[in-house]
Amino acid sequence: MQIRLNSRDIECDEGMTILDVAKENNIRIPTLCHQEDFPSEARCRVCLVEVDGKLMPSCSTKAREGMVVETENKNVKRARHMNIELMMSAHMQSCFVDVKDHALCRIVAEEGIKDIRFTPAKEQVLDDMGRAITRDPNKCIKCGRCVQVCRDIQNITAIDFAYRGHHSKVTPYFDKDLHDSYCIKCGQCVLSCPVEAITEQDHIPEVLKAIADSRKHVVVQTAPSIRASLGESFGNEPGTLVKGKMVAAARKLGFDRVFDTNIGADLTIIEEANELIERIKNNRPLPMITSCCPGWVKYAEHFRHDLLPHLSTCKSPHEMLGAVIKSYYAEKQGIKPKDIVVVSIMPCTAKKYESAREEMKDDVDYVLTTREFAKMIKMHKIDFDKLEDEDFDNPLGLSTGAAALFGATGGVMEAALRTAYETATGKTLTKIEFDQVRGIEGIKSGDIEINSITIKFAVAHGMGNVQELLKSYKEYHFIELMACPGGCIGGGGQPIPTTWAIRKKRMEGLYEEDHNLPLRKSHENPVLIKAYEEYLGEIGGRKAHKLLHTKYFERDL
Amino acid sequence: MQILEKTGMKAWNKAVSMKPDDIINLIGEKKLIGRGGACFPTAKKWGFAKEQESDDKYLICNADEGEPGTFKDKFIMENNPENMIEGILIACYTIGAKQAYIYLRREYRYLEKGLKKIIIGMIKKSGTDINIEIILGAGAYICGEETAIINSIEGKRGEPYLKPPYPAVEGLFSKPTVIDNVETLANVPLVMFDENWNPDLRLFSLSGNLKKPGIYEAEVGITMGELMKMGRPDGKIKAVYFGCAGGCMSFKKDTKVDYDVIDKAGCMLGSCTVIAVNEKNSIVDMAAVIAKFFEFESCGKCTPCREGTMRILALLEKISLGYAKPKDIELLEELSIVIRDSALCGLGKSSTTHVLTALSNFRNEFEEKCR
Amino acid sequence: MRGELDKIIDEKKLLLPILTEIQDREGYISEETVREVAKKIGIPMSKIFGAATFYSFLTTKPQGKYVIHICNSPSCYVNGSMNLIKVIEKELGIKSGETTDDGLFTLHIGSCIGCCDNAPAMLINDKEHFNLNKKKVKEILDRCRS
Repeated sequence: MQIRLNSRDIECDEGMTILDVAKENNIRIPTLCHQEDFPSEARCRVCLVEVDGKLMPSCSTKAREGMVVETENKNVKRARHMNIELMMSAHMQSCFVDVKDHALCRIVAEEGIKDIRFTPAKEQVLDDMGRAITRDPNKCIKCGRCVQVCRDIQNITAIDFAYRGHHSKVTPYFDKDLHDSYCIKCGQCVLSCPVEAITEQDHIPEVLKAIADSRKHVVVQTAPSIRASLGESFGNEPGTLVKGKMVAAARKLGFDRVFDTNIGADLTIIEEANELIERIKNNRPLPMITSCCPGWVKYAEHFRHDLLPHLSTCKSPHEMLGAVIKSYYAEKQGIKPKDIVVVSIMPCTAKKYESAREEMKDDVDYVLTTREFAKMIKMHKIDFDKLEDEDFDNPLGLSTGAAALFGATGGVMEAALRTAYETATGKTLTKIEFDQVRGIEGIKSGDIEINSITIKFAVAHGMGNVQELLKSYKEYHFIELMACPGGCIGGGGQPIPTTWAIRKKRMEGLYEEDHNLPLRKSHENPVLIKAYEEYLGEIGGRKAHKLLHTKYFERDL
Repeated sequence: MQILEKTGMKAWNKAVSMKPDDIINLIGEKKLIGRGGACFPTAKKWGFAKEQESDDKYLICNADEGEPGTFKDKFIMENNPENMIEGILIACYTIGAKQAYIYLRREYRYLEKGLKKIIIGMIKKSGTDINIEIILGAGAYICGEETAIINSIEGKRGEPYLKPPYPAVEGLFSKPTVIDNVETLANVPLVMFDENWNPDLRLFSLSGNLKKPGIYEAEVGITMGELMKMGRPDGKIKAVYFGCAGGCMSFKKDTKVDYDVIDKAGCMLGSCTVIAVNEKNSIVDMAAVIAKFFEFESCGKCTPCREGTMRILALLEKISLGYAKPKDIELLEELSIVIRDSALCGLGKSSTTHVLTALSNFRNEFEEKCR
Repeated sequence: MRGELDKIIDEKKLLLPILTEIQDREGYISEETVREVAKKIGIPMSKIFGAATFYSFLTTKPQGKYVIHICNSPSCYVNGSMNLIKVIEKELGIKSGETTDDGLFTLHIGSCIGCCDNAPAMLINDKEHFNLNKKKVKEILDRCRS
């Protein structure tokens, strides 16, 4: 059909919104509350355009034959500017003075708004006592994106709007702090916020302090997802593998050792595959459900006490590696564990909470998100793109393709199956890629025959899909659950934006990494084979259990 | 009064002997329009819902009368609730709904018991399996808006949502839903049964500086003077407010109170609410009182209404206290226009009519207050 | 409350009537009760809290024995509601939204309650009181106290 947009006749398809048509024709309309992949609620009114003489939100108004649309006339600009002024008077006015890179402040600059004629709103209390996520209600512009994500994708609704009118605010129930609530810390809200009203808790100062402290041996480990995502913060395409530069940057920042969480992932697989086989042999609670996602674990602890016996007792990769660094590595290097500081770079906000859990708090000292890591690199004025590739330190830097997969949904499952199959049957897999669990489909499943038992497995990512899969959990032997859509590469600590298109590209990067690595099965990792021989003892044995396994707690709402 | 004629189930009996399409034609011919303020042709709305194929359909009787100065629906529910219920039954039969809800504002809770009794009696008498339930509101003016009522009944915050989808197609619990005002439904039996039914007779809610405030049935087009005569002014009437959302006009006895005239004056006749304000009251203070109402009742969903109604109140209080400058009046006017143009729903869009009409009719009072 | 909750949920089915019933019985909507309701009907606590705090007649904090909603909309305003509000504020020593120390009265200054032909008016515990003046208001408050 044809519409008239800014005095031009433009062709467009049925079902397109005015915003879609404008984007396709390079006509700029600023937006704020509109999220890609979501139906619009048209709360913010920034995207208003004049349609046949009336102001309508372009994000949710569908194009109709013969529509006459103006995006920059007097009425549109007056309404747009004034609504932005109203929003800015609620958003901390200090942002206007010291322009931060918020979507709202960028629009203020783009629109050339120089004056805010309305008095600021009442100052509100910060919600920043939690370990993982912090909220500054003063910055909140009530766009509703965080609520949409938490409610409609994650199906948790830890936060929602409360009260009415200009008293309305985004908050957990009964005005609680986030860390006092059933929030699982997945950080999807952080990814959606256009003004940094919800962000991760900042641990950069503590890490810088540790690095500067010459008495401390500061070790950094990087999650599987980082190497396929970090590059985005420096202008690279999502999915570009920047492992070598990532390691080089970490060294330039002053870390004493740069290790790879991926070897921790290999270790997790060795323990977890063994645990699975033991459970199947002894008919202990089945299905077994992965436990490396702290967001999922927290969900189970709040809402599914009945599933706690089903969770693998294995710690997550970075926790296992932290434990190994502070025992095996410390002994071998002759360093006192209390002088070692372990810092994990994670795509995840929940891992900040995980590392502080009472039963594991000594393993990893600080967790930094991908974003924080990029910020540190920029703070030190390191020219990331010009860095020469470097390798991880020995010995805890050697890993397999199976570990690389961890960042993608289905990756843990695939890695575990490779090892479970081969160690249980003694045979070699003819095809080691498990396509049934690859890709962005919300729930994936399959089966494999191991010693004449048909092992049924399933994978879900995004808490909405997780809850859906759990309705039929008894059908399976082994389930991988990831709280974040896409798995860890879609985690709350990842570069913003994180859309489905970007998630897919990051996943492709990890599949590429797996494909190109010489070793692709966790149980073949020579460093770990040696570690078991000279330190850990039996797989799943007493020492392994003490260091590498954990427990869970029933939590109320 | 026409509205107090009791049809005693005669209209229902006639309706169930007719085909729904014929009922819709009859209501359409007689030109029954919505009396909740939007004036949408009732037959058309019923027609949309009837067309939808669905096992479940709903009728919601909007008894959330919240426009300040309006108490006509209360009058009906106190004096002729049977007609309203008969109207509900007829509407359900016509559109194919088995479940009706009366969304009764919390402030009218004392009517609930009596209504329940009458409903039980009439359902028995009618022999139908239509179920009528009363849902009590909990104090929110915005819940008079049809999409907000739907959200409220569904257990969500009473915020309005974007249309399309329209309630008649996809409304309560995503099923076809018709939402009709109390007065509209109370007229349905009269339309069906009274040959001399006069569509132009409306219930005017008269209040304010009057010695005889109350509900008066009169034809649309009656003059302001005649209305005031019925209400008996207390003091010299300076201005007339059509509720809070309808705006204000100078009192002139010859002004015809009909939709066109009121519309041309920048006001909204809506549900025929007339509040008389005498000379002792400052228009600026009136504006502040009304601004406070909208600031309190704004749902908070969209930026202009959530943030704007608060700023309108702040500006008016500033003007009222004598601290304002002429540029504050300019800002007040500009902000009023922007809120009117960019708000998401009718509440926001009409929240500043009172400011703009007060400025056009009584600007001197505002300017006198400024330095 | 716990034992009765199942019955209330069964009977009322929809959230708004459930919350109204809870407040009728307990005087307010407590965190504990919301937790139980959430578990039983599968609606997240934050969503219930968001709905409960939206409405003027629902509260998540304990209220007085007598809840006053007095109108300050145009019809009551031009009939002197402001003066009555000042009288009540002085008599009770509280402002809108507050409860007296003895737990007897909670005051809400709010929107039109539909008694415009008997202005000024107020509701106390959902019961209407019309044609108010200073004397009447004081009498009503005294009757509540006794």
